[in-house]
Amino acid sequence: MSKKESSVGTKRTVASLVSETRFGWLFDPTLATVVFGSLAIVFAGGLIQVSFGAYSMTFTEAWAAIFNPNVVFNPQAWDAFILGEAMPEMSTNSLIVWNIRLPRVFVAALVGMNLGVSGAIFQAVTRNELASPFILGVSSGSGLLILLTLVVFGSLTAFLPLIAAFGGAGAFLIVYVIAWKNGTSPVRLVLAGVIVGTVFGSLQTALFFFADDIGVVQSAIAWTTGSLTGTDWEQVRLILPWSFLVVLLSIAGSRQMNVLLLGEQTAKSLGMSIEKVRFALSGVAVLAAAASIAVAGIVGFVGLIVPHMVRNLVGSDSKKLIIGCLFVGPALMVAADVGARLALSPTQIPVGIVTGLLGGPYFLYLMRKQENMGKI
Amino acid sequence: MDGLITDSGRPTEQGEPAAGDSAASTLSGSDLVLQYSSSGDPIIGGESVAAEPGAVTALVGPNGSGKSTLLKGLANRLAPEDGSVLLGDDEVQSMETKALARKLGLLSQESTSPSSITVEDLVYHGRYPHRGFFESISDADHEAVERAIELADCGLLREREVGSLSGGQKQLAWIAMVLAQETDVLLLDEPTTFLDLHHHLTVLEIVERLREESDSTVVVVLHDIEQAARLADHVIVLGDGEIRDRGDPADVVTESLLEEVFRIDADVELTERGPRIDPLCARNDDADSDHDDETSRRNDGMEAE
Repeated sequence: MSKKESSVGTKRTVASLVSETRFGWLFDPTLATVVFGSLAIVFAGGLIQVSFGAYSMTFTEAWAAIFNPNVVFNPQAWDAFILGEAMPEMSTNSLIVWNIRLPRVFVAALVGMNLGVSGAIFQAVTRNELASPFILGVSSGSGLLILLTLVVFGSLTAFLPLIAAFGGAGAFLIVYVIAWKNGTSPVRLVLAGVIVGTVFGSLQTALFFFADDIGVVQSAIAWTTGSLTGTDWEQVRLILPWSFLVVLLSIAGSRQMNVLLLGEQTAKSLGMSIEKVRFALSGVAVLAAAASIAVAGIVGFVGLIVPHMVRNLVGSDSKKLIIGCLFVGPALMVAADVGARLALSPTQIPVGIVTGLLGGPYFLYLMRKQENMGKI
Repeated sequence: MDGLITDSGRPTEQGEPAAGDSAASTLSGSDLVLQYSSSGDPIIGGESVAAEPGAVTALVGPNGSGKSTLLKGLANRLAPEDGSVLLGDDEVQSMETKALARKLGLLSQESTSPSSITVEDLVYHGRYPHRGFFESISDADHEAVERAIELADCGLLREREVGSLSGGQKQLAWIAMVLAQETDVLLLDEPTTFLDLHHHLTVLEIVERLREESDSTVVVVLHDIEQAARLADHVIVLGDGEIRDRGDPADVVTESLLEEVFRIDADVELTERGPRIDPLCARNDDADSDHDDETSRRNDGMEAE
């Protein structure tokens, strides 16, 4: 008897908690800590980025330049940033901060956001914690097209971002076709990704032999390791609309991801059209990866470790995971770019090298700490 | 019959949801041929089965007799090579997946989930077929989840993480999830295997409660024939992909059936709680000489693995 009563007692409170708001799950203390911690890192990293460089200023000068009311409240300036119109006149400090250094921070944040979400989705779709945005052939496809463009079709260099993104999406489609046999399975998808990656990787290496000038090779390496050197508002304009779309679609799809995590059998029993959902979610993830490739090239490890870190902190619920990735991704990427731009100043290294150097040891630490890694 | 359109997938007049929800649904397969790859031999070779509406039907049989395969065929998890499965008046294969999941629930043999999900969240996933893409949780969802949690007796577990539960508690959570689906027809694939006696009996009690308190049509695969006979209103015995016998448990479970299908010698005693089986020894039918006896025993061992 007492058992029944207690269950009736908790019934009301729990039901009211869940029903109170649609966004009740957002008020999770750990998630809030993750979000605000990440924001703090992004701000700190951003402030360092805008202060230091070939033209150095103090933090207060940089701070003043960022919040220069002549820029922040100037619609003409925002037209120039967002729509690409003519830049209005402003002080040198503001010009350097707003026109050169800040957009790079924004691009880094958006790239980190897209890669984190992309990785989170791919890990849910393949039900494998070791999946990354580039596992299903995306990186090899765009890498190959980048090299083809640089080495063979030099006249198309202006369209490189789009070509790279299309290469990634195209390779993903090939992977899907190879993996399809009365439906797909996570394992077949990953294997097909490895196959396509191997073939395209060989072709990429072969193309290096036909590059006749070291500049082309360096440019190709910058693209295939991921670099934010020279990014400005044009890149922000390129990636921003896609990022909005990715954020909306990934949050909307998070419940589908949760059901996918219950396993194929259960998802089917619950009436999910599993192939459609898997393909649609992968499409969103490829879109996110392609958008980041278009502005920064192939930045490794971010899409792999960000969802990992977030899952360790907030648990495996996909909604929280996606929200966490939207903030931790930018934090990691902005911090890594500080290293890429300033560590060997005045030489800038591709940010992909820094993420790899950070990601490797973190993964080693995880491997040592966690008993069973791999399966979600 | 002229109102029945099978190939377009549209619900027929009789199959409107309003009509389907009120009465207990029938689930029947006719002339089913089931196999896993199109080249191999069929596992079920042209059998017809019907689940009695509002009653519990048990599928029993020795290992490898095709019980689970038959259940998969009925749940549209395995497309039949030949024959068809009807749920009410609709062919399950032509039904939209979510519409099917609103009427037919299946609890698979092994289910996996992320270990950090709470039991309550897991049960809420059972409402998936009832929710649209952007729909949030409705009152009907709450009520269904509360009913399911109470019926599956896991009110005390609701805040616990699935990863921290014992095998039996996990099974109760999964059963609650399937119950939250609120389907007319429920298929359970060996729900009691690997459970301790307490949870074993709890699961059986849940099935009994389902029969008494609702119009659910339940088909359950059970390993233990004695238990199946006690629980079910109707027993279907499978052996080597064929239906060997079916009907009232008291009539079906006999010494000769156990001898033929299960290859054991046993005493069967009819009690008021159903037939009681006292297994005596395993039979080796083709044991003519000592030599043959040994080879057949070795083969049996391999089959079991």
